[in-house]
Amino acid sequence: MAEISFPLPDLGEGLLEATVLEWLVKVGDQVERNQPFVEVETTKSSVELPSPIAGIVLTLHGEPGDVVLVDTPLITFVVADDSAGIVGTVPQEAAPKRRVRLSAVLDED
Amino acid sequence: MSEVLEGVRETAPTPLLQLSMQQAINRALGEILESDDRALIFGEDVGVLGGVFRVTDGLQQRFGANRVFDTPLAESGILGTAIGLAMAGFHPIPEVQFDGFAYPAVNQIITQLARMNYRSRGRLPMQVTLRVPSFGGIRAPEHHGESLESLFAHVPGLKVASPSNPQQAYHLLKHAASMPDPVIFMEPKARYWNKAGVNLAADEDTASLEGSVIARPGKHATLIAWGAMVSRCLQVAELAAEDGIELEVLDLRWLKPIDEAGLAASVSRTRRAIVVHEGPHTAGLGAEIAALVSQSCFDTLRAPVERVTGFDVPYPSGDLEDEYIPNIDRILFGVQRVLEYRRG
Repeated sequence: MAEISFPLPDLGEGLLEATVLEWLVKVGDQVERNQPFVEVETTKSSVELPSPIAGIVLTLHGEPGDVVLVDTPLITFVVADDSAGIVGTVPQEAAPKRRVRLSAVLDED
Repeated sequence: MSEVLEGVRETAPTPLLQLSMQQAINRALGEILESDDRALIFGEDVGVLGGVFRVTDGLQQRFGANRVFDTPLAESGILGTAIGLAMAGFHPIPEVQFDGFAYPAVNQIITQLARMNYRSRGRLPMQVTLRVPSFGGIRAPEHHGESLESLFAHVPGLKVASPSNPQQAYHLLKHAASMPDPVIFMEPKARYWNKAGVNLAADEDTASLEGSVIARPGKHATLIAWGAMVSRCLQVAELAAEDGIELEVLDLRWLKPIDEAGLAASVSRTRRAIVVHEGPHTAGLGAEIAALVSQSCFDTLRAPVERVTGFDVPYPSGDLEDEYIPNIDRILFGVQRVLEYRRG
Protein backbone atom coordinates (compact mmCIF):
# COMPACT_ATOMS: atom_id res chain seq x y z
CA MET A 1 0.00 0.00 0.00
CA ALA A 2 1.16 3.53 -0.69
CA GLU A 3 0.09 6.89 0.74
CA ILE A 4 -0.69 9.76 -1.58
CA SER A 5 -1.43 13.26 -0.33
CA PHE A 6 -3.13 16.02 -2.24
CA PRO A 7 -2.51 19.65 -1.49
CA LEU A 8 -5.15 22.33 -1.75
CA PRO A 9 -4.97 23.65 -5.31
CA ASP A 10 -5.26 27.32 -6.24
CA LEU A 11 -8.99 27.57 -6.83
CA GLY A 12 -9.01 31.02 -8.38
CA GLU A 13 -6.55 33.55 -9.66
CA GLY A 14 -3.74 33.58 -7.15
CA LEU A 15 -5.83 32.72 -4.07
CA LEU A 16 -3.69 31.77 -1.09
CA GLU A 17 -6.10 29.83 1.11
CA ALA A 18 -9.53 28.32 1.56
CA THR A 19 -11.76 27.45 4.52
CA VAL A 20 -13.01 23.90 4.97
CA LEU A 21 -16.81 24.03 5.08
CA GLU A 22 -17.68 20.34 5.14
CA TRP A 23 -15.93 17.05 4.58
CA LEU A 24 -18.03 14.88 2.29
CA VAL A 25 -16.01 11.77 3.23
CA LYS A 26 -14.58 10.40 6.47
CA VAL A 27 -11.45 8.53 7.39
CA GLY A 28 -11.68 4.92 6.17
CA ASP A 29 -14.07 5.71 3.29
CA GLN A 30 -13.34 4.28 -0.14
CA VAL A 31 -13.42 7.24 -2.51
CA GLU A 32 -13.73 6.91 -6.26
CA ARG A 33 -11.96 9.07 -8.77
CA ASN A 34 -13.83 12.34 -9.44
CA GLN A 35 -16.02 11.83 -6.37
CA PRO A 36 -16.47 15.14 -4.49
CA PHE A 37 -14.71 14.81 -1.12
CA VAL A 38 -14.80 18.27 0.43
CA GLU A 39 -16.56 21.60 0.18
CA VAL A 40 -14.31 24.59 0.71
CA GLU A 41 -14.93 28.31 0.64
CA THR A 42 -12.63 30.91 -0.82
CA THR A 43 -13.05 34.66 -0.87
CA LYS A 44 -14.74 34.20 -4.26
CA SER A 45 -17.00 31.18 -3.89
CA SER A 46 -17.62 27.87 -2.23
CA VAL A 47 -16.75 24.83 -4.28
CA GLU A 48 -16.74 21.03 -4.07
CA LEU A 49 -13.43 19.41 -4.93
CA PRO A 50 -13.38 16.09 -6.83
CA SER A 51 -10.90 13.41 -5.85
CA PRO A 52 -8.09 13.02 -8.37
CA ILE A 53 -7.69 9.32 -7.60
CA ALA A 54 -9.47 6.34 -6.08
CA GLY A 55 -8.31 5.30 -2.64
CA ILE A 56 -9.13 4.92 1.04
CA VAL A 57 -9.12 8.10 3.11
CA LEU A 58 -6.28 8.04 5.64
CA THR A 59 -6.17 11.62 6.91
CA LEU A 60 -8.30 14.74 6.60
CA HIS A 61 -6.02 17.70 7.16
CA GLY A 62 -8.26 20.13 9.02
CA GLU A 63 -11.67 20.48 10.67
CA PRO A 64 -14.65 22.39 9.30
CA GLY A 65 -13.86 26.07 9.84
CA ASP A 66 -10.10 25.58 9.53
CA VAL A 67 -8.17 27.60 6.99
CA VAL A 68 -5.97 25.54 4.68
CA LEU A 69 -3.17 27.18 2.69
CA VAL A 70 -2.75 26.50 -1.02
CA ASP A 71 -0.10 23.83 -1.65
CA THR A 72 -0.39 22.36 1.86
CA PRO A 73 -1.86 18.85 2.33
CA LEU A 74 -5.65 18.65 2.25
CA ILE A 75 -6.30 14.92 2.18
CA THR A 76 -4.20 11.75 2.25
CA PHE A 77 -5.27 8.50 0.63
CA VAL A 78 -4.03 4.98 0.90
CA VAL A 79 -3.90 3.32 -2.51
CA ALA A 80 -3.02 -0.23 -3.44
CA ASP A 81 0.53 -0.79 -4.70
CA ASP A 82 -0.88 -2.35 -7.82
CA SER A 83 -3.20 0.50 -8.74
CA ALA A 84 -2.63 1.51 -12.32
CA GLY A 85 -1.98 5.20 -11.97
CA ILE A 86 -3.55 7.86 -14.13
CA VAL A 87 -4.21 5.78 -17.24
CA GLY A 88 -4.57 2.16 -18.19
CA THR A 89 -5.38 -0.89 -16.10
CA VAL A 90 -3.32 -3.48 -14.29
CA PRO A 91 -3.24 -6.61 -16.50
CA GLN A 92 -5.10 -9.53 -14.98
CA GLU A 93 -3.06 -12.69 -14.68
CA ALA A 94 -5.28 -15.38 -16.16
CA ALA A 95 -4.41 -19.02 -16.63
CA PRO A 96 -3.00 -19.33 -20.16
CA LYS A 97 -5.64 -20.47 -22.66
CA ARG A 98 -4.96 -22.03 -26.01
CA ARG A 99 -6.82 -23.24 -29.07
CA VAL A 100 -3.79 -24.25 -31.15
CA ARG A 101 -2.21 -27.65 -30.61
CA LEU A 102 1.19 -28.54 -32.00
CA SER A 103 1.25 -31.61 -34.21
CA ALA A 104 4.73 -31.93 -35.56
CA VAL A 105 6.47 -35.02 -36.81
CA LEU A 106 10.08 -34.24 -36.06
CA ASP A 107 12.54 -35.98 -38.33
CA GLU A 108 15.50 -35.45 -36.09
CA ASP A 109 18.84 -36.65 -37.38
CA MET B 1 8.99 -24.60 -14.69
CA SER B 2 9.01 -21.11 -13.36
CA GLU B 3 11.09 -18.24 -14.65
CA VAL B 4 14.77 -18.88 -14.26
CA LEU B 5 16.56 -16.18 -12.30
CA GLU B 6 19.63 -15.22 -14.20
CA GLY B 7 22.78 -13.63 -12.95
CA VAL B 8 22.55 -15.63 -9.71
CA ARG B 9 25.94 -17.06 -8.91
CA GLU B 10 26.67 -20.12 -6.87
CA THR B 11 27.41 -18.38 -3.59
CA ALA B 12 25.95 -18.45 -0.11
CA PRO B 13 22.17 -18.45 -0.40
CA THR B 14 20.71 -14.97 -0.03
CA PRO B 15 17.06 -14.66 0.93
CA LEU B 16 15.01 -13.48 -2.04
CA LEU B 17 12.91 -10.37 -1.68
CA GLN B 18 9.47 -10.51 -3.25
CA LEU B 19 9.34 -7.35 -5.33
CA SER B 20 7.33 -6.11 -8.25
CA MET B 21 9.30 -4.65 -11.15
CA GLN B 22 8.28 -1.11 -10.15
CA GLN B 23 9.57 -1.74 -6.63
CA ALA B 24 12.77 -3.34 -7.93
CA ILE B 25 13.47 -0.36 -10.18
CA ASN B 26 12.60 2.04 -7.36
CA ARG B 27 15.14 0.31 -5.16
CA ALA B 28 17.79 0.37 -7.88
CA LEU B 29 17.20 4.10 -8.47
CA GLY B 30 17.54 4.80 -4.74
CA GLU B 31 20.85 2.95 -4.63
CA ILE B 32 22.15 4.78 -7.69
CA LEU B 33 21.27 8.15 -6.12
CA GLU B 34 22.94 7.07 -2.91
CA SER B 35 26.19 5.90 -4.46
CA ASP B 36 26.56 8.49 -7.23
CA ASP B 37 26.05 12.09 -6.14
CA ARG B 38 26.16 13.20 -9.78
CA ALA B 39 22.97 11.22 -10.44
CA LEU B 40 19.77 13.22 -11.01
CA ILE B 41 16.25 11.96 -11.70
CA PHE B 42 13.77 14.16 -13.50
CA GLY B 43 10.71 13.90 -15.69
CA GLU B 44 6.97 14.41 -15.68
CA ASP B 45 5.45 13.70 -12.24
CA VAL B 46 8.51 11.77 -11.00
CA GLY B 47 8.99 14.06 -7.98
CA VAL B 48 5.97 15.01 -5.87
CA LEU B 49 3.72 12.27 -7.23
CA GLY B 50 6.45 9.62 -7.36
CA GLY B 51 5.77 8.71 -10.99
CA VAL B 52 2.53 7.62 -12.63
CA PHE B 53 3.66 4.01 -12.13
CA ARG B 54 5.05 4.75 -8.61
CA VAL B 55 8.53 3.87 -9.88
CA THR B 56 10.13 6.98 -8.33
CA ASP B 57 7.93 6.85 -5.23
CA GLY B 58 9.55 8.41 -2.16
CA LEU B 59 12.80 9.36 -3.92
CA GLN B 60 12.19 13.11 -3.77
CA GLN B 61 11.49 12.88 -0.04
CA ARG B 62 14.70 10.91 0.45
CA PHE B 63 17.05 12.85 -1.80
CA GLY B 64 15.47 16.27 -2.06
CA ALA B 65 13.98 18.28 -4.90
CA ASN B 66 17.41 19.24 -6.21
CA ARG B 67 18.11 15.65 -7.22
CA VAL B 68 14.65 14.31 -8.00
CA PHE B 69 12.45 16.87 -9.67
CA ASP B 70 9.42 17.41 -11.87
CA THR B 71 9.73 18.91 -15.32
CA PRO B 72 7.28 20.65 -17.62
CA LEU B 73 5.39 18.43 -20.06
CA ALA B 74 8.06 18.84 -22.73
CA GLU B 75 10.04 15.74 -23.64
CA SER B 76 12.37 17.65 -25.94
CA GLY B 77 13.25 19.84 -22.96
CA ILE B 78 13.69 16.86 -20.66
CA LEU B 79 16.24 15.33 -23.03
CA GLY B 80 17.87 18.67 -23.79
CA THR B 81 18.29 19.22 -20.06
CA ALA B 82 19.78 15.75 -19.70
CA ILE B 83 22.28 16.39 -22.48
CA GLY B 84 23.38 19.72 -20.98
CA LEU B 85 23.71 18.19 -17.52
CA ALA B 86 25.75 15.29 -18.90
CA MET B 87 28.05 17.82 -20.63
CA ALA B 88 28.52 19.48 -17.23
CA GLY B 89 29.51 16.18 -15.65
CA PHE B 90 26.22 15.06 -14.13
CA HIS B 91 24.64 11.65 -14.56
CA PRO B 92 21.05 12.32 -15.61
CA ILE B 93 18.46 9.56 -15.29
CA PRO B 94 15.46 11.17 -17.00
CA GLU B 95 12.10 9.50 -17.47
CA VAL B 96 9.85 9.82 -20.47
CA GLN B 97 6.50 9.06 -18.89
CA PHE B 98 5.15 6.85 -21.68
CA ASP B 99 6.93 5.57 -24.78
CA GLY B 100 4.35 7.30 -26.95
CA PHE B 101 5.54 10.62 -25.53
CA ALA B 102 9.12 10.00 -26.68
CA TYR B 103 8.59 11.31 -30.21
CA PRO B 104 9.08 14.99 -29.33
CA ALA B 105 12.40 13.98 -27.75
CA VAL B 106 13.59 11.91 -30.70
CA ASN B 107 15.37 14.86 -32.28
CA GLN B 108 17.39 15.50 -29.12
CA ILE B 109 18.06 11.78 -28.70
CA ILE B 110 19.29 11.17 -32.24
CA THR B 111 20.98 14.43 -33.17
CA GLN B 112 22.62 15.23 -29.82
CA LEU B 113 22.49 12.50 -27.19
CA ALA B 114 23.59 9.63 -29.42
CA ARG B 115 26.47 11.46 -31.10
CA MET B 116 27.88 13.98 -28.61
CA ASN B 117 30.60 11.58 -27.51
CA TYR B 118 31.53 10.92 -31.16
CA ARG B 119 31.32 14.58 -32.14
CA SER B 120 33.52 15.71 -29.24
CA ARG B 121 36.08 12.95 -29.85
CA GLY B 122 35.30 11.48 -26.46
CA ARG B 123 35.53 14.73 -24.50
CA LEU B 124 31.80 14.86 -23.77
CA PRO B 125 30.58 11.36 -22.95
CA MET B 126 26.85 11.11 -22.38
CA GLN B 127 26.24 9.04 -19.27
CA VAL B 128 22.48 9.32 -19.59
CA THR B 129 20.14 6.56 -18.51
CA LEU B 130 16.78 7.23 -20.11
CA ARG B 131 13.94 5.25 -18.55
CA VAL B 132 10.91 4.73 -20.78
CA PRO B 133 7.83 2.80 -19.62
CA SER B 134 7.30 0.84 -22.82
CA PHE B 135 5.12 -1.46 -24.91
CA GLY B 136 1.45 -2.27 -24.40
CA GLY B 137 -0.67 -4.54 -22.28
CA ILE B 138 -2.36 -2.08 -19.92
CA ARG B 139 -5.22 -1.03 -22.23
CA ALA B 140 -4.16 2.59 -22.20
CA PRO B 141 -5.34 5.29 -24.61
CA GLU B 142 -3.46 6.27 -27.75
CA HIS B 143 0.16 7.43 -27.33
CA HIS B 144 0.52 5.43 -24.10
CA GLY B 145 1.75 2.20 -25.67
CA GLU B 146 4.29 1.88 -28.47
CA SER B 147 7.29 -0.27 -29.29
CA LEU B 148 10.22 1.97 -30.12
CA GLU B 149 13.04 -0.54 -29.81
CA SER B 150 13.83 -0.82 -33.52
CA LEU B 151 13.82 2.97 -33.86
CA PHE B 152 16.36 3.40 -31.05
CA ALA B 153 18.37 0.30 -31.96
CA HIS B 154 18.89 1.78 -35.42
CA VAL B 155 20.66 4.86 -34.05
CA PRO B 156 24.45 4.57 -33.72
CA GLY B 157 25.61 5.68 -30.29
CA LEU B 158 22.67 4.40 -28.29
CA LYS B 159 22.38 1.24 -26.25
CA VAL B 160 18.94 -0.28 -25.69
CA ALA B 161 17.92 -2.67 -22.92
CA SER B 162 14.60 -4.14 -21.81
CA PRO B 163 14.18 -6.22 -18.65
CA SER B 164 11.63 -9.02 -18.37
CA ASN B 165 11.34 -9.56 -14.61
CA PRO B 166 12.04 -7.75 -11.31
CA GLN B 167 15.40 -9.41 -10.66
CA GLN B 168 16.63 -8.48 -14.08
CA ALA B 169 15.21 -4.95 -13.92
CA TYR B 170 17.04 -4.24 -10.66
CA HIS B 171 20.45 -5.43 -11.85
CA LEU B 172 20.15 -4.40 -15.48
CA LEU B 173 19.23 -0.81 -14.56
CA LYS B 174 22.16 -0.49 -12.16
CA HIS B 175 24.44 -1.91 -14.83
CA ALA B 176 23.03 0.38 -17.52
CA ALA B 177 23.49 3.38 -15.22
CA SER B 178 27.15 2.50 -14.74
CA MET B 179 27.83 2.62 -18.46
CA PRO B 180 29.50 5.71 -19.95
CA ASP B 181 27.10 5.68 -22.93
CA PRO B 182 23.46 6.69 -23.27
CA VAL B 183 21.18 3.74 -22.58
CA ILE B 184 17.48 3.64 -23.44
CA PHE B 185 15.97 1.49 -20.71
CA MET B 186 12.62 0.18 -21.91
CA GLU B 187 10.53 -0.97 -18.96
CA PRO B 188 7.62 -3.24 -19.95
CA LYS B 189 4.68 -1.55 -18.23
CA ALA B 190 2.55 -4.71 -18.48
CA ARG B 191 5.02 -6.37 -16.08
CA TYR B 192 5.31 -3.54 -13.53
CA TRP B 193 3.02 -5.19 -11.00
CA ASN B 194 4.10 -8.84 -11.12
CA LYS B 195 6.07 -9.83 -8.05
CA ALA B 196 8.95 -12.27 -8.11
CA GLY B 197 11.97 -13.13 -6.04
CA VAL B 198 14.86 -10.70 -6.32
CA ASN B 199 18.39 -11.46 -5.18
CA LEU B 200 19.93 -8.04 -4.57
CA ALA B 201 23.40 -9.50 -4.07
CA ALA B 202 23.77 -11.03 -7.50
CA ASP B 203 25.02 -7.93 -9.22
CA GLU B 204 28.75 -8.08 -8.59
CA ASP B 205 29.40 -10.04 -11.76
CA THR B 206 28.53 -7.46 -14.40
CA ALA B 207 29.60 -9.83 -17.18
CA SER B 208 26.46 -11.82 -16.39
CA LEU B 209 24.41 -8.74 -17.23
CA GLU B 210 25.72 -8.44 -20.76
CA GLY B 211 23.98 -10.16 -23.64
CA SER B 212 21.03 -12.50 -23.62
CA VAL B 213 19.98 -15.16 -21.16
CA ILE B 214 18.21 -18.49 -21.60
CA ALA B 215 14.97 -18.17 -19.65
CA ARG B 216 14.02 -21.79 -20.34
CA PRO B 217 16.10 -24.45 -22.03
CA GLY B 218 14.61 -26.60 -24.81
CA LYS B 219 15.72 -28.47 -27.90
CA HIS B 220 13.16 -28.26 -30.71
CA ALA B 221 13.00 -24.52 -31.41
CA THR B 222 14.04 -21.20 -29.86
CA LEU B 223 11.55 -18.48 -29.02
CA ILE B 224 13.40 -15.14 -29.02
CA ALA B 225 11.78 -12.35 -27.03
CA TRP B 226 12.31 -9.41 -24.69
CA GLY B 227 10.29 -7.32 -22.22
CA ALA B 228 6.75 -8.50 -21.57
CA MET B 229 6.88 -11.09 -24.37
CA VAL B 230 9.33 -13.22 -22.40
CA SER B 231 6.73 -14.28 -19.82
CA ARG B 232 4.24 -14.96 -22.61
CA CYS B 233 6.79 -17.12 -24.42
CA LEU B 234 7.42 -19.01 -21.18
CA GLN B 235 3.67 -19.73 -21.04
CA VAL B 236 3.80 -20.92 -24.64
CA ALA B 237 6.76 -23.19 -23.85
CA GLU B 238 4.80 -24.67 -20.95
CA LEU B 239 1.86 -25.43 -23.26
CA ALA B 240 4.08 -26.77 -26.04
CA ALA B 241 5.58 -29.21 -23.56
CA GLU B 242 2.10 -30.77 -23.25
CA ASP B 243 2.39 -31.56 -26.96
CA GLY B 244 5.85 -33.03 -26.60
CA ILE B 245 7.65 -30.00 -28.00
CA GLU B 246 10.48 -28.56 -25.96
CA LEU B 247 10.88 -24.86 -26.69
CA GLU B 248 13.86 -22.83 -25.61
CA VAL B 249 13.10 -19.24 -24.57
CA LEU B 250 15.92 -16.80 -25.19
CA ASP B 251 15.48 -13.51 -23.32
CA LEU B 252 17.45 -11.00 -25.38
CA ARG B 253 17.67 -8.28 -22.64
CA TRP B 254 19.95 -6.10 -24.79
CA LEU B 255 18.39 -4.91 -28.04
CA LYS B 256 21.45 -2.87 -28.96
CA PRO B 257 23.96 -4.37 -29.09
CA ILE B 258 22.23 -7.67 -29.88
CA ASP B 259 23.92 -10.75 -28.46
CA GLU B 260 24.82 -12.42 -31.76
CA ALA B 261 26.84 -15.18 -30.11
CA GLY B 262 24.02 -16.04 -27.73
CA LEU B 263 21.52 -16.17 -30.59
CA ALA B 264 23.79 -18.37 -32.66
CA ALA B 265 24.53 -20.71 -29.75
CA SER B 266 20.85 -21.29 -29.00
CA VAL B 267 19.56 -21.65 -32.55
CA SER B 268 22.45 -23.84 -33.67
CA ARG B 269 21.28 -26.31 -31.03
CA THR B 270 17.53 -26.06 -31.63
CA ARG B 271 17.81 -25.40 -35.41
CA ARG B 272 14.55 -23.49 -35.49
CA ALA B 273 13.79 -19.92 -34.42
CA ILE B 274 10.70 -17.80 -33.85
CA VAL B 275 11.08 -14.11 -32.94
CA VAL B 276 8.22 -12.63 -30.92
CA HIS B 277 7.77 -8.88 -30.49
CA GLU B 278 5.01 -6.37 -29.91
CA GLY B 279 6.24 -3.82 -32.41
CA PRO B 280 4.98 -3.68 -36.00
CA HIS B 281 6.22 -6.35 -38.42
CA THR B 282 7.92 -4.31 -41.12
CA ALA B 283 11.47 -3.29 -40.20
CA GLY B 284 10.82 -4.48 -36.64
CA LEU B 285 13.73 -5.82 -34.63
CA GLY B 286 12.61 -9.31 -35.64
CA ALA B 287 13.90 -8.62 -39.14
CA GLU B 288 17.39 -7.87 -37.82
CA ILE B 289 17.33 -10.97 -35.63
CA ALA B 290 16.13 -13.15 -38.50
CA ALA B 291 19.01 -11.86 -40.61
CA LEU B 292 21.57 -12.50 -37.86
CA VAL B 293 20.26 -16.01 -37.24
CA SER B 294 20.13 -16.80 -40.94
CA GLN B 295 23.71 -15.72 -41.32
CA SER B 296 25.11 -17.56 -38.32
CA CYS B 297 22.96 -20.70 -38.55
CA PHE B 298 22.25 -21.01 -42.29
CA ASP B 299 23.60 -24.54 -42.56
CA THR B 300 21.81 -25.89 -39.51
CA LEU B 301 18.45 -24.12 -39.79
CA ARG B 302 15.57 -26.50 -40.54
CA ALA B 303 13.13 -23.73 -41.42
CA PRO B 304 13.15 -20.04 -42.24
CA VAL B 305 13.11 -17.85 -39.13
CA GLU B 306 9.50 -17.10 -38.22
CA ARG B 307 8.33 -13.71 -36.92
CA VAL B 308 5.27 -13.33 -34.68
CA THR B 309 4.77 -9.61 -34.20
CA GLY B 310 2.36 -6.73 -33.95
CA PHE B 311 0.70 -5.64 -37.18
CA ASP B 312 1.62 -2.79 -39.50
CA VAL B 313 -1.00 -0.49 -38.00
CA PRO B 314 -0.87 2.34 -35.48
CA TYR B 315 -0.77 0.90 -31.98
CA PRO B 316 -4.42 0.27 -31.03
CA SER B 317 -5.77 1.59 -27.75
CA GLY B 318 -7.92 -0.12 -25.15
CA ASP B 319 -9.32 -3.61 -25.68
CA LEU B 320 -8.16 -3.74 -29.31
CA GLU B 321 -4.62 -4.37 -28.14
CA ASP B 322 -5.62 -7.98 -27.39
CA GLU B 323 -5.90 -8.45 -31.16
CA TYR B 324 -2.59 -6.71 -31.79
CA ILE B 325 -0.12 -8.05 -29.23
CA PRO B 326 1.08 -11.58 -30.10
CA ASN B 327 -1.08 -13.95 -28.08
CA ILE B 328 -0.49 -17.55 -27.14
CA ASP B 329 -2.25 -18.99 -30.19
CA ARG B 330 -0.43 -16.77 -32.68
CA ILE B 331 2.90 -17.76 -31.15
CA LEU B 332 1.91 -21.44 -31.22
CA PHE B 333 0.98 -21.06 -34.91
CA GLY B 334 4.44 -19.64 -35.55
CA VAL B 335 5.99 -22.59 -33.76
CA GLN B 336 3.86 -25.01 -35.77
CA ARG B 337 4.97 -23.37 -39.03
CA VAL B 338 8.66 -23.86 -38.32
CA LEU B 339 8.11 -27.38 -37.02
CA GLU B 340 6.21 -28.58 -40.08
CA TYR B 341 8.42 -26.82 -42.65
CA ARG B 342 10.03 -29.21 -45.09
CA ARG B 343 12.61 -28.29 -47.71
CA GLY B 344 11.00 -28.35 -51.14
